[in-house]
Amino acid sequence: MTPLSGRAISAGPFSALATFLPVDHFLLMVLYALLLSMFLAVLWGSDRPARLRLFAKIFGALVIGGLAVAWLMYPFPS
Amino acid sequence: MSEPLSLSETTPAKAWTATVLAWVFPGLGHFYLGKRRRALFYAAVVTVTFLFGISLEGRLDTPEPGAPLTYLATFASLGSGLLSILARLLIENPRGNVLSVTYEYGCMFLRTAGLMNLLLALDAFDVAMGRKP
Repeated sequence: MTPLSGRAISAGPFSALATFLPVDHFLLMVLYALLLSMFLAVLWGSDRPARLRLFAKIFGALVIGGLAVAWLMYPFPS
Repeated sequence: MSEPLSLSETTPAKAWTATVLAWVFPGLGHFYLGKRRRALFYAAVVTVTFLFGISLEGRLDTPEPGAPLTYLATFASLGSGLLSILARLLIENPRGNVLSVTYEYGCMFLRTAGLMNLLLALDAFDVAMGRKP
C-alpha cells in the first residue's frame, strides 16, 4: 500500500483524509465494496440476520465480480 | 429507537418533507421520521463515501454540452445534496485532478454517494407513507 504523500492534493479542507486512504486499486475496490454493501444491506434487509446475509452476498459479488472481470480483461492489452 | 409512524400520522406532506430532508443531508429524512439509529448509520456511510471521493481527487460533475453522460453524472453527483453544494463552494478544485492515480475512484465514490442519498430519499418517502417499517 502506497501512501498518498506524493499526490497533488486539491481537496482543500477535506485533504487530511487522503493521508489515510490507499492508492492500491484492489484495496480501493474492497473499500468501495464494503461501504456500498453495508449501505444496501441496512437499506434492504428486514432484520439483523437478513442484513448480514445480504451484506455477505453483495460484498462477495462486488469483490469476486471485480476480480473476475479483471481476469477476463487480462489477455487484452491496454 | 422511536416507534414507526402510525397510519394516522402519515400524510403526503410529511412524506415529501422527509424526502426533501433526506436529500438535503444523508439520514436527515429518517431522523425526522424517528428512525434515529438508522439515520446516524446512513449519515455516516454516505458522508464517509463522499469525503473519500473528494480526498481521492474525484470530480464533482457538471453538465457539458455535447457529452450527454455528464448530465447523468451531474444528477448522481448532486444527489448528495448539501454535501455536494458545500464541497463545490469550499474545495479548491471541484473538477478533481484528472492526473491523479485515484481520480476515477474518486469520481466513482462521489457519484455513488449521491446515488445512495437518492435511494435514501425514496426510502424516507416509503417509510413516511407506511409502506416500509
